Amino acid sequence: MNAFGYVTARTPAAAIEAVRDDGRFLAGGQDLLGELKESLVSPKTLVNIKSLPETAEVRREGATWSIGANVTLAMIAAHIELHRAFPALAEAAAEVGSPQIRNVATIGGNLAQHSRCWYYRHRDVRCRKKGGSTCFARGGESKYHSLFTGSMCLSPCVSNLAIAFAAGDAQVVVQRGRRTERLTIAELYADAWRTAAAHNSLRADDLILRVELPVTTRRSTYLQVAEKGDFDWALVSCAAAAKVDGTRVSDVRLVLGAVAPVPWQVAEAGAFLEGKEITRETADRAAEIVLRGARPLGDNAYKLPIAKALMRRALLKLVAPA
Amino acid sequence: MPWPENPRYFGKATPRAEAPAKVTGRAKFTTDVALPGMLFGAVLRAPWPAARVRAIELAKARSAPGIKAAVAVQDGAFDVRFYGQELAAVAGVSRQAVLDALPLIAVDAEPRPFVVDEIAAMQPDSAPVVAGKANLGEGQARTNGDVDTAFAASAAVVEGVYRTQVELHHCLEPHGQAVAWEGGELTAWVSTQGVFALRDGFARALGVPQSNVRVICEHMGGGFGAKSSLGAEGALCAKLAQAAGAPVKLILTRFEEALAVGNRPSSWQKIKMGADAAGNLTAFQLESFGTAGFGNGVNNGAGSGSAAFPAPYIYKFAASRVKQGSVAINAGQACAMRAPGHPIASAGIEAALDDLAAKLRLDPLELRLKNDPSETRRREYALGAEKFGWKEKYRAPGSSPGPVKVGIGCAGAAWNSGMSRNTQAEVQVTTDGGVEVRVGTQDLGTGSRTVIEVIAAEMFGLAPEQIAVRVGDTRFPPSGTSGGSQTTSSIAPAVYDACENALTELKKLSGLDDPRGANWKNACAKIGGTPLQVRGRWREGLAAGGGAINQGGVQFAEVEVDTETGFVKVRKILVVQDCGAVVNRLTCESQINGGVIMGLGYALYEQRIMDRASGVVLNPNFETYKLPGPADIPAIEIVLLEQPERGVIGVGEPCTVPTASAIANAVANAIGARVPDLPLTPDRVLAALGLVPATERGGARAEIDAAFRAVAQLPVHAGATEAFA
Amino acid sequence: MDEASASQAHTAGAFSRRQFLRGLGTTAVTAAALGSTLRGASTAPAKNDDARSASAAPLALKVNGELRTLTLEPRVTLLEAIRVHAGLTGPKETCDRGTCGACTVLLDGMPVYACMMLAVEGQGREVTTIEGISRDGLTPLQQAFVEHDGLQCGYCTPGFVMSLTALLKKNPRPTETEVRGACAGHLCRCGSYPKIFAAALAASART
Repeated sequence: MNAFGYVTARTPAAAIEAVRDDGRFLAGGQDLLGELKESLVSPKTLVNIKSLPETAEVRREGATWSIGANVTLAMIAAHIELHRAFPALAEAAAEVGSPQIRNVATIGGNLAQHSRCWYYRHRDVRCRKKGGSTCFARGGESKYHSLFTGSMCLSPCVSNLAIAFAAGDAQVVVQRGRRTERLTIAELYADAWRTAAAHNSLRADDLILRVELPVTTRRSTYLQVAEKGDFDWALVSCAAAAKVDGTRVSDVRLVLGAVAPVPWQVAEAGAFLEGKEITRETADRAAEIVLRGARPLGDNAYKLPIAKALMRRALLKLVAPA
Repeated sequence: MPWPENPRYFGKATPRAEAPAKVTGRAKFTTDVALPGMLFGAVLRAPWPAARVRAIELAKARSAPGIKAAVAVQDGAFDVRFYGQELAAVAGVSRQAVLDALPLIAVDAEPRPFVVDEIAAMQPDSAPVVAGKANLGEGQARTNGDVDTAFAASAAVVEGVYRTQVELHHCLEPHGQAVAWEGGELTAWVSTQGVFALRDGFARALGVPQSNVRVICEHMGGGFGAKSSLGAEGALCAKLAQAAGAPVKLILTRFEEALAVGNRPSSWQKIKMGADAAGNLTAFQLESFGTAGFGNGVNNGAGSGSAAFPAPYIYKFAASRVKQGSVAINAGQACAMRAPGHPIASAGIEAALDDLAAKLRLDPLELRLKNDPSETRRREYALGAEKFGWKEKYRAPGSSPGPVKVGIGCAGAAWNSGMSRNTQAEVQVTTDGGVEVRVGTQDLGTGSRTVIEVIAAEMFGLAPEQIAVRVGDTRFPPSGTSGGSQTTSSIAPAVYDACENALTELKKLSGLDDPRGANWKNACAKIGGTPLQVRGRWREGLAAGGGAINQGGVQFAEVEVDTETGFVKVRKILVVQDCGAVVNRLTCESQINGGVIMGLGYALYEQRIMDRASGVVLNPNFETYKLPGPADIPAIEIVLLEQPERGVIGVGEPCTVPTASAIANAVANAIGARVPDLPLTPDRVLAALGLVPATERGGARAEIDAAFRAVAQLPVHAGATEAFA
Repeated sequence: MDEASASQAHTAGAFSRRQFLRGLGTTAVTAAALGSTLRGASTAPAKNDDARSASAAPLALKVNGELRTLTLEPRVTLLEAIRVHAGLTGPKETCDRGTCGACTVLLDGMPVYACMMLAVEGQGREVTTIEGISRDGLTPLQQAFVEHDGLQCGYCTPGFVMSLTALLKKNPRPTETEVRGACAGHLCRCGSYPKIFAAALAASART
């Protein structure tokens, strides 16, 4: 860890100003401290954003849930009304890390977290994401890597919350300079799809303020498979949401995590399911649409059957009697 | 056996003597040592898997703020053979000062070609790990009987290639020490399995007499074989302290623990096994290789310097042919790890045995009862099967209904506990009735301290809490390194002998016929100002080990396998463990739990992963080197097969041997297909189920075939490791 | 307070008013600590607080109810501050990456990884270490650990005890699943888990 200064910001504007001099925002720090310890980043200043006003609350404002950037994952996992309204989010939050991590890790930090690719995280490997010329996962150890990518980097999006938020059509409210902008989850990660060096579409001085989740009558769920029973990264994760009438669904969102640098969503799959009954067959058909064009590497083809099983289970769970 | 007939404590459940200190955080481990003026040390490690180092320039680091000393690992040029090899070390006033100074060390080095996987290292065009030497070292072989004829006459023959991974010890307390010099005398607080071995190590490395070295290890956070001798970091720490003229504490990081402090070697095992129609084993053939790191010799250190292992392990075949090789790669060297060789041996042969049972349509337990030559294990299988409900639970492979399939499996193990016959103990009794027992052993977390306490309490008729036990200091009577499950069988007789001698003296001194228990205070009152102090020595008749006894153990596993995701969950493990005379039931059971859980990690999660292109260890942390956590722990039922007439024996190692094999067999039973490689991760389970196109298994098919051909053609070194039948 | 005066305040060994007041609300502060704090207390909140240069500067941490002023660089972790600078070695450093739980301390009663927080972030919070809960002999949970042998080498033990202490406070009658969940952020290489679970359940029944 290099030496750095530290400041606690009281307003978004002050935070952005302070971070511009080669700084990094510090919220829960569970991702950033790891990067600092491996010397992957060496900022001059850490800007503590935990004291920004109104960022640690969950509020219902009309047709929107407003979830502050500093709301912790533990708060989300334990929020009864939110859990009732959109279970996928609480379920996704509960699968993040461990109790110790969830007690401090924030919504904003989870969305903005950097790649967990073991080449990227390695102090002595200079991969594409770090500006090097090689993606070591290609022809190397690609077990945890993407099935889809739009760039030379294979590092997948591993934010559980991004997957759940994508299924909920959430928008991320970002302070960008003097403007406040709303990004869809797809927009939040679009750059990671296109650009090997990008983790997401945020600029260094973009500050996530909150996430807005539309109040919905859609049911939702989040499922994941990892190698260990708890406290492990998902090999594949899946969030699904839909309006349910008996076993018939409409307005379906089906999103996969850990298979692409972005939350992986194929609109055609939702269109296919529109108005259909969820059966093993229709679910599998939708899953095939989502996975169409996947390009597995040497070690990660196994993600395909897992993804398919998760999508089927998630859809069947949505239509299962409560 | 002279152990007490109606014991109050011996063989009962006595809480660990140091437990209150450990649950309150009071227990001081090596990492907690703080000496006046103590500096922090850290090691600079090679960022290349292979290189020729020409020179190391320390001046800039030495003059950095807060830095008090810098030393190179050696003068002049030398070879780097693995990523993470020690180059130099610095000591300074804070961790930050030291970490800032390490990059200031200039290393003039020329990176060299390297190879980090076994198959590539065995190809003719591979880079040599040691210049001028073949990567595949000399082999070892043994043949009994006419193998080809025996196979030809067999009713069923199975052939398979089974693979085990490199496993890391990952003790939670990293390797480390604090070293202080006073004149020519050195005191070292070390996290070690052998205080006397470390004294020897420091004396050699620093060129001082052993009598000038004192090693202390009061509490230590696990060893599992990796802390048996002085590591490079220990010598560097002592040199830094010498150069700085101040005490230095140097504790490795988790990252370094993954690189440079030992591991369990890998294995590729090509096994051919035959039986007659009734299931009697007829013939066995093994060709194997594996890597123990950058060295490839035969048994070149610490019990597992080579990748060879006992074969055909616990089974007897009229005809068998075994050929084993070790291949060097540019990676950290192996060392002893909990039951060196045995879990590897077990993983191959027990899998082949179940595959043979499947081919013969036999219950694999029946096959074992028929063929296991050990009477102890056959008894254990019968006892365990009853408790486990094997008969009720057993289904033909793959016949469990639904997508989440249930399966059961079993496996056996053998062990010969070591013994340190030079062990001594010292008992001091004071006139107020106080008892202090001192043994220069160390407590790795196995409960050695409590073993001593229990024996002394039993012998003197006192409560365990009346006994003060001191261990972990070279100033105490000598004992061996805690390895080979030998500590209890080494210290128990010496403590017994010392207590007996104390009683003899006390009888004389007090004139009482029986100074024990209720008479203790009165007897001790006669001691007066100079405490009574006696020695005891290890003696025959109280413990077994040292190759004299064959300990058996068996385990049963029940698993569920999600055949759509490949996820394996272990529901239950039942252990029947041969334990001789149990000294302390509580800590004995804890060790067995630990052995099972370490075996579960070997079965399902753990593997060191090297990157072929960069040569680095790719998973040098607990995020990607996965250890079993709270959610992964099955119900563990322990049946202690007590045979007190055999005396005290060790259990720490044998209990970890069959776990992974039993789990792998249970998975095969559940899904009706063999997952031939450990660990049994979802990708491999799905591949075994045919749901994923077959991928490369650590190398191209032709390369793997070439590797086995190279083993078959190896020149042979006499004296292959004996089987443990 | 603006950045310049904030750094001046820090050279004087103070911390911000907000943090000071929060500290006061929970436990009494010693007179000596009060004196040194009041000297630098600021008067008006502003856009940025508590600006620190990269160099070591005094920082007030409340550990086990005791306010300590430690001179630390901002890059020093809470764990290093506790172990090296405050001399409380109960919390252990094992993975240094928030994966093993041996460093677990309570922050305002919540288990957190002390290795994954900067010491500066501990300002104005209540930090409780294993030493802090062990002042009056063994708690029922610790007693149960002793009796059930919920430990072997003992290196992970303080961490488990802290997480389970927090669990039992929040949920005095946990199920075994809840016990496992509370321990999910911990690793024990000796494999003491079954007896740790048993100890937690026994302690729950006892309190």
